[in-house]
Order: sequence, then structure tokens, then C-alpha cells
Amino acid sequence: MKPLDFITGEIVGILLFFIGLYGLMTKKTIVKTIMSMSIMESGIFLFYITINYTVGSVPPIGQAQEAAFVDPVPSALMITAIVIGIGVTAIGLTMFMHYKQKHGITHWSRNRNQTGSEH
Amino acid sequence: MLAPILTGVTAYLLRNRAAKLLLYVFQVLYAGFAFYVFMQVKQSGPIVWNAGGYTDGLALSLYADSISIFMVLMTAVFYIAFLVYATREDYFRPRFYFLFMTLQGLMMGLFLSSDLFNIFVFLEVSTVVVAILIMFNKEKQAIYDGMIYFFVNVIGTAFLLFGIGMLYRTFGLLDIRAIKESMSLLDSPQAVVLPYGMMMVTVSLKTAVTPLFSWLPKAHGTPSAPPVVSAVLSGLYIKSGVYMFIRFNDMFSPVIDMHVFFFWIGFFTSLIGFIMALGQKDIKLILAYHTVSQIGLIMMGINMASEIAFWGAVYHIFNHAIFKSTLFLTAGMIYEEYGTRNVYQIRGLFKRMPWVAVATTFAILGITGAPFFNGSISKYMIAHGTYDYGVTILLNIINLGTTMSFVKYATMLFGNNPKEGRAKSDFFALSASVVMGIASFFTGIFGEALTQFFFNYEVHVNVDEYIQKGMVYVLMIVAGVAFYHGIIKHGGLITRIGHAELTFNGIITAMAGYFIVVVVYLSLML
Repeated sequence: MKPLDFITGEIVGILLFFIGLYGLMTKKTIVKTIMSMSIMESGIFLFYITINYTVGSVPPIGQAQEAAFVDPVPSALMITAIVIGIGVTAIGLTMFMHYKQKHGITHWSRNRNQTGSEH
Repeated sequence: MLAPILTGVTAYLLRNRAAKLLLYVFQVLYAGFAFYVFMQVKQSGPIVWNAGGYTDGLALSLYADSISIFMVLMTAVFYIAFLVYATREDYFRPRFYFLFMTLQGLMMGLFLSSDLFNIFVFLEVSTVVVAILIMFNKEKQAIYDGMIYFFVNVIGTAFLLFGIGMLYRTFGLLDIRAIKESMSLLDSPQAVVLPYGMMMVTVSLKTAVTPLFSWLPKAHGTPSAPPVVSAVLSGLYIKSGVYMFIRFNDMFSPVIDMHVFFFWIGFFTSLIGFIMALGQKDIKLILAYHTVSQIGLIMMGINMASEIAFWGAVYHIFNHAIFKSTLFLTAGMIYEEYGTRNVYQIRGLFKRMPWVAVATTFAILGITGAPFFNGSISKYMIAHGTYDYGVTILLNIINLGTTMSFVKYATMLFGNNPKEGRAKSDFFALSASVVMGIASFFTGIFGEALTQFFFNYEVHVNVDEYIQKGMVYVLMIVAGVAFYHGIIKHGGLITRIGHAELTFNGIITAMAGYFIVVVVYLSLML
């Protein structure tokens, strides 16, 4: 086994997931939070589309039988998940922009009471 | 059979553009339909509906058994009350009730879906909807709380998605029931430890157990969110997490048994929930932290490994929905009237708003488990799940805490009226909350019959023991009042505990830590 064989989609996906998680745990800037979230999600997408993949398999289109079919389900799921991911990122950014423009805050604050309005 | 519920989501989109009247008619019919399906499930067992006519297990399927259809029925019926409550409120605009009804459809989807990926989709979309509902008034604090809610939950569902991916890698299946069947064919249970950990992080986040509840008070108790939204979140939406917990644990049950772990998690959740509640002075925050505490109690009941405690917990889900919704709805009316949410400044509710006070009283009696009220029945059932003396003491500690913080909450009812005369309140809002309040009395009296009817599970309440519990309850009240005057009134330490909370990064770190703890615990067990 060559050292590079170790770098499969699954491993990279898992790594990306935890890199994203690390970013979420440590960064206080809201924009960086959104970025880490995207990284985390890309990790998951990569993980999904490479699970149960064998080299040389073909897409399940037509009647060709010369090679094994790839399982189409994960890819189908990921199309949905990517769309949701985009939507979520967009909403997150919208919220952040609105918040920053109105109140000028770009960081997660330490305490609710410091930012809290006296309502 | 169940197609209308799935298409309900899209149907709502179209219907909601029409008049409010249509909304009510639809909701009543919908609740009627839910009841019809419920009766069918009761008579002829679980119903499965597969999309596209594929074989069961491969297709995207909806699945209704006694628990899920019960949750559906509960949601549909409570929504009638919420809609009535909101009739005259100024936030009840098309945009609002569109989102509000969509949320209902999504909850139905969550309860009925048997496909893991569909559950993920429903969760993600409902997170977005809830976040927008929280931010509906666009106030600074509300937006901040909404953002925390949104990001934390989106990240939580990412864990779920990853867990599903790992399960799919092992089994090649997405259907909950099919996975449960193939679970016993596994060579080594080690293969499902990681996905289990991942999925439990999401579910625990949704149910808001000990280290992960920090988002809940922010979301449920945010000052400017409409009271109806808080009521839905606290009464119904949080229950979807508990429901998923039941479902997922059932799915993993052939190989993984975590009863003891989650029992203690539930206990600490309860404990911390009411301690934090004691430190609050904002009435909405008191209620929000109390939800945490009650959820802990439900988790304890579910994880006692006994049938009566399990059904007691499910019944408590229902009861908690009733009285917590009532409390949030009345709290909304109270702070609109008084112009403050400080529990120490609101006095003389009985003189100022008598009917609201009556509804609140019923709900408080329910939540503290007063004899004849619904809380007492479900708590009785949960307490019956064990004969261990230690566990009984733990349950009593939680009850004492609940009583203590509601003694504090109840001080609002008495005292002098700051203004002369009675306040005029909106008829619709009033009737909705009073009906809910009285419901908490009737579901208590007919507790035995109702559990029989809803779950096909017979409970016999032993009169002697029940009276004994009643005595304990009176003692609790006395102790609660004593505690209130002795300690809580003076604040100090308890207030400081109440104001401790995690930052955003803290919440995420807690999530990662929780994941590691679950995985390590499991690897040691197996």
C-alpha cells in the first residue's frame, strides 16, 4: 500500500469535518463561523459521495453490464443536501449582514446581558 | 392513507394566502383527520405508506404507530388553540401564519417519517423556519438569539447527516425499521459506535439535555418573540427531539443500550434546569429554563427501562405541552399588560386579570404535580417505574425544585394591584389560554382513561399511594415557600448561577465534548 492510498475521499471528508468543527469551537468572528460551517458540510458531502466506491465502476445509466454499477443513492442524497447547505449558508449570511448593518456587531459576545436590549 | 399529511406541507403554502377563516376551518378539519387516522392506527396497528410503490425498507416511507400518531394528533389539536390565541395579535400577518403553518407541516413530517434522510431534511428546514419565527420582530436581542439558535442547530444537524452517512456505509439502508432489523446481523457492535455518537449529539441538542441546553432559553425565552412562537417551541417542537430520541434508540436497541447513561443525563438536566430557573427574574426565562428541567424528567422516565415509566414519560410529554403552552400564552398576556417581565414587579394578577390568573394557576398546579392535575398522573407513573429508594429520592428532589421555582412564579398572582380596576384583554387570547388551563385539570382527572385510550396502556392509580403523594405535595409546597423566603428572595449565589451561560464557541465545544464522552462511554461498555 502506497502512502498516497491512504488519502481517500472518506478520510479527507472526515478530516474536513473535524477541521470545520475546530474552527467553530475556536473562532469568535461570525463570518468565520459561517465559513467553518461550509467546510464542515463539504467534508460530509465528500464523505457521502465516496462511500462504497470501487475503482472502475460505472454510472447506473443504460444497460451496460461490463462493470459494477455505482450506488446512486448517496449522490442523489447529496444533491439535496448541497441545495439545503447553500440555502442555509445564504440565510446565515443574510442574518449576519442584517445584524452587522443595524448594530455593528461582528463577533459572538461573551455575555447575553452586554448585548441585551433593555426591553 | 397518509399522503394528505405529506402533501399537507405544500397544501399549507397555497391555503395560507387565503383568509384567516379558511385557516381555522382547515385546522379543525386537519385535527379531525388526524383523529381519524389515530383511531385507525389504534384499531388495526401501525400504518406504513411507501412512496412510489417500492418495497418496504427501500422506499421513502411514512410510518405511523401509536406514539407517532399520538404526537401528530397532539400537534394538530394544540395548533387550533394557538391559532385562536393569535387571532387579534398584530403580528398575525400572512407572512407569520405561513411560516407558522409550515412549521406544523414540518413537525408532522418529523413525527411520521421513517426515512433517516427525510428526517434530516425536515430538521434542517424546520430550523430555518424556527429561526425566522424567533427573529420575527427584528429586535436586536431577538436577532442575536435567533442567530445562535440557527447556527447551533444547523451544526447539530450536520452531525446527524454525518452519522447517517456512516450508517449508510455499513448497511446500505436508510429506513429506520429496516436498519433495526439488520442491526442484529452485525459482526461487531463497534461499527455503529461512531454513528450512534453522532446521531445522539444531534438528538441531545434538540432535546436540550445537560451540556447542550444553552441555546434553549435563548430561543424560547427571547424577549420579543411572539408568545405563540414560544409556546409552540416549548410545548411541541422540543418534543420532536424527545420523539427522535425514542426512535433512534429503538433503532439501535439490538446492539446498544444506554439506559443508565441517559438516565443520569436526564437527572442532571432536570437539576441544572431548575437551579438556573431559580436564578431568573424574567418570567419568560423562568419558563424556558423550566422546559429544560421537565425535559430532563421525561428523559429519566424514558430511560428507566420499565414500561410504566416509559408511558408515563410519553404522557408527560403531552401534559407538559398543555401546561407549558398555557404558561407561555398567559405570560405573553401578562407582560403586555404590565409592560415588564420582571417577576418581582408583577403583582396582583388575580385582581387585575382574574381569568388569566385562573389559567396560570391551573397550569402551575399541573406542572408542580398537584393532586387531580395532569402532572401528578404522569409523575406518578414515572415514579412507579422504580422500586429503588435512591431513584425515588432523585425524583423528589426534582419535584421540590419545580415547586420552589413555581412558588416564585406564583407570587405574581397575589399582592396589590398597582393600578385600579381590571384590565381588558383580548377575548380570543383569553379563551384559548383558559381552555388550555382547564384542560390540564381534566386530563388529570381522566388520566387513567386517557392513557388507556391513547396508548392502550392500563394504569391503575392506587388511591392510598396517591393520597400519600398528595401529602408529599403539600409538604413540598410548604418547603418551597420556606425556601423562597429563606434563600431565593435574597438572590446572591443563585442569581449568579442563573446568569452563567455558554458563549457560542462554548456551546460548540460542549457539543464536541459530549460526542467524545458518548463515544468513549460506549466503547468502554461494549
